[in-house]
Amino acid sequence: MQSSNGAIRLADAVMQSGGGRTVLLRIAIPAVPGDPAEQLGLATPEYQDIALAPATFHKANSVSKLLVSASAVHEALGSLGFDSADVLFETAVGVMIDDLIYKIKNSYSSQAVGLPYCYWLTLEPPVR
Amino acid sequence: MQNAKDTFYEVICGRLVGVNPERTIVLRGVVRPGVLVEENELLSAIALPDCFRLEWSVAKVDPGGKMPLVTLQCSFLYETAGSAINGGIDRGRALAAMDAELQSVISALPQNSLKMNYAGLAFRGVTTAMSTNVWWSDSVFGETVVNNDRLARTTTVQVMSYQEAGEL
Repeated sequence: MQSSNGAIRLADAVMQSGGGRTVLLRIAIPAVPGDPAEQLGLATPEYQDIALAPATFHKANSVSKLLVSASAVHEALGSLGFDSADVLFETAVGVMIDDLIYKIKNSYSSQAVGLPYCYWLTLEPPVR
Repeated sequence: MQNAKDTFYEVICGRLVGVNPERTIVLRGVVRPGVLVEENELLSAIALPDCFRLEWSVAKVDPGGKMPLVTLQCSFLYETAGSAINGGIDRGRALAAMDAELQSVISALPQNSLKMNYAGLAFRGVTTAMSTNVWWSDSVFGETVVNNDRLARTTTVQVMSYQEAGEL
């Protein structure tokens, strides 16, 4: 556990020294029980933006990737009550970076001693 | 067309609760009957197993007659990996159970319903009854498709209604 915490601190330090930034994970807030308006597409769900930091954004050719600190993700998991980071990223609407919403195509983690110390997200830029 | 789509979804939803109240999904933190309209949900909801996902595709309008006759094709997409406790070995039976539920829901009489306008719900208003009906054909079951560890099927139904004046 201590090695994993050390890996998280090291990853955070490297990301911060390498120009780490804050990005916003956009998720829909829970639906209203028994409200047919949302099920019929009449009412738009409300959204909540969760700050994730430190994170680094890589954009090369047509591939956009986001590296996010595991400490930030785990803090969000705890406060939002999600079972796992996979579920959090799968249900998120996207990530807001520089006022643009990127869709999350997939995610995976880098691990030390079986525990993640950072998450990689492959992003799809918005259609212009 | 939109009123016909909404009415059909509400009818299917209500009937499914009667046929199998345990067929439910949890979507955005809320438990609801196991049927959803893909175009009305966030993209993340689309791959949900063990529920019926409605997809509206082809639309035809026959302008002859007093009111245009609109025919919409509704596809029910559903897939299951069986139950985890059985290691998925019951996925064939689980798919057959979903087939039977859908058959019961679609073919239950009457195969029509008074068309409703749900637009008022957007402003916390009420639904209003329209003058004509929505009716639908029998279901046509597609082939079983093996999708990794899941068995999937698409079943189609033709949904028809008259387009009333001023309808979307």
